[in-house]
Amino acid sequence: MRCVFSKGNKMSQRELEIEIAPDGKVTVRTIGIKGKECLDVAQALIQGIGTEEHREMTTEFYESEHDVTQHQNLHDRYQ
Amino acid sequence: MSTVLVVAPIVIANWSVISAAVIAGVGSVGYAVVSGVETPGRTTNRQVGNRAEIEVENSEILATGVIPGQEIVVQKDGVTVRFSRDRQGALKVCVEGEGLSKSQLKQVGEDLIGVVTQQYAYHRIMTEMKNQNMTVVHEEVDADRTVRIRVKNI
Repeated sequence: MRCVFSKGNKMSQRELEIEIAPDGKVTVRTIGIKGKECLDVAQALIQGIGTEEHREMTTEFYESEHDVTQHQNLHDRYQ
Repeated sequence: MSTVLVVAPIVIANWSVISAAVIAGVGSVGYAVVSGVETPGRTTNRQVGNRAEIEVENSEILATGVIPGQEIVVQKDGVTVRFSRDRQGALKVCVEGEGLSKSQLKQVGEDLIGVVTQQYAYHRIMTEMKNQNMTVVHEEVDADRTVRIRVKNI
């Protein structure tokens, strides 16, 4: 049941938005979590609650933490 | 935003958890609990009028701790709603009231099922959130009763 957040100091960046509709339907959105981990974090929170009806991956899902670091390095270089 | 998951809850719990969700949920929309336990030999303000019965498909009330005939009875504006466990173990909602058509009573029942399911989902998420060492940083309820919660890891 327990989801392990294993990336040390990046834990503070992990946020979720949860919406519970009047009929009980639950929507979970991850914020600022890159790669497959965002799916793991969302699934860990809602596991066992019910059946998944919809899943949507945005560009951040396909963006690895490595890519993010490279982008940051390039950004810093041209500052 | 990087992942969006939508989940339809399945209410699986014992009677005490269901009771808590029913009492908290219907109380938030103005219903008063008139009876927490009713056995088959006892009646509580049985009304004459139309009646609608709904079996909640995505539900399972565990048999442990359920007394046969046990139900929660709530009332508001002359409408009586009974929550019980049917023979298959699903949550059953029976709505009775004078001056309302069967379809209106069914709508009342379905709205209340939504309220109870929402309460159940809220309770499950709050429990799981604590297990995940997460905390609520913001919570609000919209006019249409949608609950919005923002959580982050501690």
